[in-house]
Amino acid sequence: MNNGHVVQLENVSKNYRRGSETVHAVSDATLAVARGEYVSVVGHSGSGKTTLMNIMGCLDRPTEGRVTINGHEIQNEGEAGLTRLRQTSIGFVFQQFFLIPTLNVLENVSLPSLFAKRKLNGRARELLEMVGLENRLHHLPGQLSGGEMQRVAIARSLINSPPIILADEPTGNLDSRNADMIMSLFQQLNKDGATIVVVTHNPGIVKGCDRMVHIEDGRIQ
Amino acid sequence: MSFLKVALSNLRRNPVRSMLTGLSLAVSAATLSVVLSLDSGYSSAVTEDLVNKTGVHLYITKEGCPIEAASVIAQGGLSPLYVEEDIVSRFEAMPELAAVMPFKLFAVTTDDGTRTDIFMGVTEAVSEVKPDWQYASGGWFTSPESVILGAEMARIENLNIGERMYVEHFDAEFVVSGILQRNYGQDDGTFFLPLATAQSLVGREGKLSAVALKLKDISHMDTVQNQIRASMPADYFVIGSKELSDGILQFFSSTRAIMFVMVGVAFLISVFGIINTMLMAVLERRREIAYLKCVGAGKYDLLRLISLETTAIAVAGSAVGALLGMVLSPLSGNLLRKFLVAYIPSGAIARPDFGIALTAFAVCTLVGIACSLYPAFRAAKIVPMEVLRNE
Repeated sequence: MNNGHVVQLENVSKNYRRGSETVHAVSDATLAVARGEYVSVVGHSGSGKTTLMNIMGCLDRPTEGRVTINGHEIQNEGEAGLTRLRQTSIGFVFQQFFLIPTLNVLENVSLPSLFAKRKLNGRARELLEMVGLENRLHHLPGQLSGGEMQRVAIARSLINSPPIILADEPTGNLDSRNADMIMSLFQQLNKDGATIVVVTHNPGIVKGCDRMVHIEDGRIQ
Repeated sequence: MSFLKVALSNLRRNPVRSMLTGLSLAVSAATLSVVLSLDSGYSSAVTEDLVNKTGVHLYITKEGCPIEAASVIAQGGLSPLYVEEDIVSRFEAMPELAAVMPFKLFAVTTDDGTRTDIFMGVTEAVSEVKPDWQYASGGWFTSPESVILGAEMARIENLNIGERMYVEHFDAEFVVSGILQRNYGQDDGTFFLPLATAQSLVGREGKLSAVALKLKDISHMDTVQNQIRASMPADYFVIGSKELSDGILQFFSSTRAIMFVMVGVAFLISVFGIINTMLMAVLERRREIAYLKCVGAGKYDLLRLISLETTAIAVAGSAVGALLGMVLSPLSGNLLRKFLVAYIPSGAIARPDFGIALTAFAVCTLVGIACSLYPAFRAAKIVPMEVLRNE
């Protein structure tokens, strides 16, 4: 399938067990994200946003339905195949940044390339310049502000040049000034051609997106 | 950026914990190194003393536990068993023998118990049997009251040729006729007397501690041993010097077993310590490991990362421990000397060497790496979605 959509979900459901109860986290969801699109996914806590994002991020397989990421149907992929897709096709940005505290900024950004076995040739520096952290290359995460840490995380998500960026509440831990900065950065990345899917409660982010997807009780509205 | 750099940086998160884990392996490596040094050192020292330096191939001794008798003789005690001197003539005609040395060996401890002197009554055959029998000064006995001093005894007593030595225990005086060159063996600490003098001092005229035999050709040892055994009365023993040293080493075997149990305990503590530490390190970083999986770390990447962390600790701890063991081995040898109930050899009891250090290092490093496997598998099995959802 290559109809201009880098993410395509068709009748996707995801159920999992919690004790004796079966949770229907996502039910019959159909969604297509075009290349270069900037999509926000909104919904209440427990509505299935994160599960949807995990499926799009090749971290989980659907119980039912078909998921195609950058031309690969993930239900047919083994563990190694999903790992490879995460290395090459997806960049993750999380609310908690997940920077390695003992590696400096430059090393943190370079880390995903280690697993993808890619040569960087200065790309980490370029990305850090792009997010305005060229003066912080050798700082440790503990020496950065929350906004700076999230910018490092964004630079890290781009290091393997993935066609898709998935962000889960990227401004959730930031004050409004830093949140604005991150929103501008996402918009800039999107203008430069990145496909971005962002799970958020932040109306500012939603306003800047091409499209909003609302999910409630596991169903896309 | 490399896996090793990431692994080493992870160890810096909790340097005290990393150091303590390394130290537990260092203790194991040091213990192993010391025990191996003692084990090989004691065996070598006993063999050197009783096989190489004595030049004796066979001992004729009396019935009883031959090992116990050998140990008593070797330690210089006055054995309750004795050999009749007239038996010596049986061997003098044997063409296979290079030398026949009857001797009387006994030890005298001072009344306050602070010093034990070893006396050996010998005949001139001693110079044919002992390969290191060389005089630093003087020579053979000039009278029944002569004494030849081992190098260390001459130093301690500060005596020279012609000077007199009084032995309070026997209320007897001896004249120094010779001083031996140092041979770093039992002889250094021995007073040599004419055989008849020694026998009369302890009231055992015509009686010997044993007869030492030196063979012309050691390849005929078994044949000669069997031949002598067949010709001797049933209550006599013919003991090879190798049997003698092996027997003494058997006395040491219980000490040896305790030492290896200590090593085992040290290893067990280390193993549980390392597994616990690395497991803690993995569990504390579940979210981070989950994130590493999100950004493309595969199972083998995580196995490699966690194993490298443990390997770094194992290499550092084992290296420190192996070196520490080399330093501590001589000290532990001296300590063991005080507690040995079996034969105490004259040479160094602990003999550390590069091979032992390398063995201790390799064994402990491998144990450390093996300990990383379970925590590494736990890390590799982390399901990122579950961790990110539940924590």
